[in-house]
Amino acid sequence: MKIAILIFIAFSFVACERQSVNEPSGTVAAFVPVYAKIVDVQTIELLQSQATVVAGKIYAYNNFVYQNEMQKGFHIIKNMGANNFQKVGFLKVPFCTEIAIKGNYLYCNNINDLVVFNITDPANPLFVKRVKEAFPVINQTYPPVSNTAFQCVDNSKGIVTNWERKTIPTPKCRR
Amino acid sequence: MKHFKQILFCCLVCTHLQFSCGKDAGVSSNQATASVGVGTGGSMARFTIIGNYLYTVDSKNLKVFSIADPVNPILKNTVAIGFEIETIYPFKDKLFIGSTSAVYIYSISNPEQPARLGTAISPNVIRRCDPVIARDTVAYATLRTNSACGGGPQSILAVYDVKNIQNPIQKTFLNITEPYGLGFADSTLYVATKNGLNIYNINTEYNPFFIRNDRSQDWFYDVIPFGNVLICWVKDGVLFFDITNRRNPVFISKIV
Repeated sequence: MKIAILIFIAFSFVACERQSVNEPSGTVAAFVPVYAKIVDVQTIELLQSQATVVAGKIYAYNNFVYQNEMQKGFHIIKNMGANNFQKVGFLKVPFCTEIAIKGNYLYCNNINDLVVFNITDPANPLFVKRVKEAFPVINQTYPPVSNTAFQCVDNSKGIVTNWERKTIPTPKCRR
Repeated sequence: MKHFKQILFCCLVCTHLQFSCGKDAGVSSNQATASVGVGTGGSMARFTIIGNYLYTVDSKNLKVFSIADPVNPILKNTVAIGFEIETIYPFKDKLFIGSTSAVYIYSISNPEQPARLGTAISPNVIRRCDPVIARDTVAYATLRTNSACGGGPQSILAVYDVKNIQNPIQKTFLNITEPYGLGFADSTLYVATKNGLNIYNINTEYNPFFIRNDRSQDWFYDVIPFGNVLICWVKDGVLFFDITNRRNPVFISKIV
């Protein structure tokens, strides 16, 4: 039993090794994780057309242009004829950044899955397939900067999709 | 010269081929891979479709999905490439895979078994580059210097002889201010810049001739010549030109 406790304690130290704890009082500017629930990030839906906020990559197919809304999905733009281009919808695909089309099928990324849509009606993409874990998990365990303090990740809150810089009580984690 | 070859390699792979649907007979624009029914993408993509295969890159791996059954992509292969992989660029029967520090050249003569042919290590001054487009014997690349791209005090539009794709030869370059993506339709070249669209005559393929700049109020990131329309990714949305007259794009509209 004592050995088990010693092993447990030893592992506790190993687990904490990279999160050197040095806690002066007060607040600091530090990275704070932004969480998303897996069920939320897999929610795909066709919405009304909406304003572009952060314009992303473009992709052309027949009379349609798809423009990525960074990390949100893509705008569906139709040439109504005589080069009259209009937004006709927005396909919400969380954390989508890439699109490719062949035939009547559109392939894009949704978090770490590959998803396929039937676009026989290009304004009305129909979800047909999800290939799970086609890509590395977006979940992040530390911010993209070295030698910095950050709020420790609590995976019970979901996966970490981004980091915000905030002034918070001195956090326990560093890298 | 070696330096420019490395720049070209870097840039070749830091981009994604802009497919052409080839709907308009006789129109030549950014086409290098004839995949029937494949859409046309912009630059810096991580997905590309060639024949019955979807190739993707994440930060470390190249993945090959068979889409022979289009509703049922099947992962056929995962190839570890390196680190900080950013882009995939198909040219002829090769894949150029770009990272922030090197370019990996793969043969896809066996589409499910990409085979590494070589690696071009970029010099330290080249950490990241901008798109290149190519047709049979010529490639045009923009090298932007205000970013991690490095490369010198002046951004340029560079022109290369690519008869031997593994041994590109720089033919000339033009100074240009903050360029991004680019595309061509027939013998006209369009270059996205922070301050508008630059238009060049490339009738003499190794000697582009600057015609004019348009829409200097818009920050252009990329262009897709698509039939008689030039589709442009601009900072606040997408913008369209009529390029029925290739040399004289006529603004249609901007969608924001």
